Amino acid sequence: MTVLGEFALWLALPLAIWGGVLGFVGGRTQRGELILSAERSVYGIFFLLLLASAGVVAAFLGDKFQYWYVASYSNRELETFYKVAGLWAGQRGSLLFWALLLSFFASVCVWLNRKKNREFMPYVVGVLQAITVFFVVVLLFAKVNPFERLPFTPANGQGLNPQLQNYWMTIHPPTLYLGFTSFTIPFAFAIAALLNGRLDARWIVLTRRWTLLSWLFLSVGIVLGMRWAYEELGWGGYWFWDPVENASLLPWLTATAFLHSIQIQEHRGMLKVWNMSLVVLTFLLTVFATFLTRSGLIESVHSFAENTRIAIIFLAFLGSVTAFALVLVLYRLPSLRSENRIESFFSREAAFLFNNLILLGAAFTVMWGTLFPLISEAVTGEKVSVGPPFFNRVNIPIGLALLALAGIGPVIAWRRASRRNLKKNFFWPALVGLGVGAILWAIGARHPMALLTWALGAFVLTIVGVEFWKGTRARARIEGEGYAPAFYHLVTRNRRRWGGYIVHVGIVVIFMGLAGAAYNQDVRKFMEPGDTVQVRSPFGEQYTLTYQGISSSVGRGQRNLLWQAVALVDVAVDGKAAGTLTTEKRQYVTSQQLMTEVGIRSTPWEDLYVILSAVDNVEGVLRNDPGAQAVTLQVLIKPLVGWIWYGGLVLVFGSLIALWPSVERNRPAEQETTDVPAVVSA
Amino acid sequence: MKHGRFAIGLVGVAAVVSYLVWTGVSNTMVYYLTPTELMAKASSDPTFHDVGVKVSGKVIPGSYEKVPGELLHRFRVQGLQDPSVTFPVEYRDALPDTFTDDAQVVLEGRLRADGVFEATTVLTKCGSRYEASPDQLAG
Repeated sequence: MTVLGEFALWLALPLAIWGGVLGFVGGRTQRGELILSAERSVYGIFFLLLLASAGVVAAFLGDKFQYWYVASYSNRELETFYKVAGLWAGQRGSLLFWALLLSFFASVCVWLNRKKNREFMPYVVGVLQAITVFFVVVLLFAKVNPFERLPFTPANGQGLNPQLQNYWMTIHPPTLYLGFTSFTIPFAFAIAALLNGRLDARWIVLTRRWTLLSWLFLSVGIVLGMRWAYEELGWGGYWFWDPVENASLLPWLTATAFLHSIQIQEHRGMLKVWNMSLVVLTFLLTVFATFLTRSGLIESVHSFAENTRIAIIFLAFLGSVTAFALVLVLYRLPSLRSENRIESFFSREAAFLFNNLILLGAAFTVMWGTLFPLISEAVTGEKVSVGPPFFNRVNIPIGLALLALAGIGPVIAWRRASRRNLKKNFFWPALVGLGVGAILWAIGARHPMALLTWALGAFVLTIVGVEFWKGTRARARIEGEGYAPAFYHLVTRNRRRWGGYIVHVGIVVIFMGLAGAAYNQDVRKFMEPGDTVQVRSPFGEQYTLTYQGISSSVGRGQRNLLWQAVALVDVAVDGKAAGTLTTEKRQYVTSQQLMTEVGIRSTPWEDLYVILSAVDNVEGVLRNDPGAQAVTLQVLIKPLVGWIWYGGLVLVFGSLIALWPSVERNRPAEQETTDVPAVVSA
Repeated sequence: MKHGRFAIGLVGVAAVVSYLVWTGVSNTMVYYLTPTELMAKASSDPTFHDVGVKVSGKVIPGSYEKVPGELLHRFRVQGLQDPSVTFPVEYRDALPDTFTDDAQVVLEGRLRADGVFEATTVLTKCGSRYEASPDQLAG
């Protein structure tokens, strides 16, 4: 199976080249049989890469340690589940997995368009296969072949890093990869539009679902990564502005900008060059993210290896894509003229444009901060880095501006908002926002950025709430329906719009949760059994934690575990017993380092997060010596942290509503401005 | 006219972002130095004792001590290239699980005027953390 897989990977190279060349030639010459052959090559590539991936998985399941990749990421004791996940546990498998997902989406795209959009498809196939060629070349020639054999067969493998043995970690990278790879489809359509000269909004309409799907996967992947860091890394946070985290955030920021700016092109025929640039930039950033994650260019806790050849190949690819797209855009510049101009600051166009500029500004600051050590070393010779304080300081004001626009953008009128429109849409929401701010101030919240986040959040939520209410009421009146059916029909008639509003609600909830970090409580204490530590939550509860002691056990439970030491902590809230938390240190067979498992007690308002920071006397604890029980505990109160996960769920729900295929696809109801005339006043 | 006003808006956004980045960098940047560079900078410029730095080195085996009953760790660190440059470190927090007394570490903090490095973070570096080379597998 594995040999077959390796053979399939080699076979994929000529087939992808064939498909790519035929796609472009077929597009130029419009010869049907060439186009058909190119399209079939997409299915062929998917099949071959599926075989190759199955070969890697088979090698993992069969403990074939003669393969370097298997020997480095698995061992006999590893659970089957993680052996399968070994496909994306390291650099080599990840790159194959990337190519596999790309070919999967390419196949779906070709299948869906087998009878339509024929003017785009040859070029789309050409672009997709060219990208496939790149990844296959990297796999085969950049010293990252997952099928590389060792000169000997080790008795056992190195095992998988225990931190990666977590269910979030098995789904977080694939989700991000799904987001990265599916964005290739809008990119391919954009390039196809540049090549075939159909530069109206057609390519955007054809790919907006793909864009949204990709954005959804990216969002979910990022939130899952936060969740993993929160549960597994054991330092009490969810986001560290690590280069790899930043790398996944960058395409998300530009994809978010793209998702908004394409609406301007659809409605007003503006921002054509801008949209082309954004789709190319986002695609480049997805590849850059893959490269950053898997090349070790910047020191990062996630980086897997250092390999300069792969760095050069990736940079060359990024450079050629940029140059190619730039030449095409310049060549087509006369056809990319804007059909309209922005007439006023107070218009939806302007709000969306500002949203775009700010998102790009955020992407720029994140990029700058991430690459700053490299830039500074290259320019001044001094290695200077910036850390989380930089990113927080810069991105919190940017995030607040975005939050405000998330409320303003969807309801402000196109072209030019009248004073009446502004007053009608924003008077009450602004009042509610100010009111919420004032109430929070009155009950003692003083952190300016957090206060502003919650007030703006209330402003946006009110706007969305009012929109839903007005739409439902108008429909109930016009169609003579009850409120419940009116609400249902309102949403289903324009899923994109109302789903988008729900996504905004999700984002607001996430932001409000993030702002809770301003009120984190953090106490560390060196404790003997029976000692207590008290922490007061910002909501007023008094947590009393009593350390009960620590006990160790050897090698039970998971097969890779050498020993674990579990500390018991009794929790009381306002004097009432509220259960027991455990926090552990673990030693795995396959790694020298200790792992920390944290204890978390979640409520909708706040989490109590207990970390076994250090064991005073490890040998004593391993003997279960009653005299050697001293530990250092770190106790954190994390207000509103759960809202990040709840907001993530709302975001998924809203995206799914927008993505859901609508039955009446071609009815004018799809146009955003026409269905509720009462709301949109010009 | 309208177009001009709009351009002012765009320039405004760019200016605000640049301002945020500029002040952000100048207020939060951290020098990444070797122990040799740190000592040279600190001796030539006394104000350097207040600047946040990151310094990488290796813990000297046997130098680690924990102050009993307290959350205070002391150890000495030596340069990776030049082991003759050493300095004492104090750290008031729980050490990472990966810390051993011959680990490679990256310290963040400042070098006090008394020559003791007051660390606010201690990170351990472990070359084989995620991926080992075939030679390591053979060994």
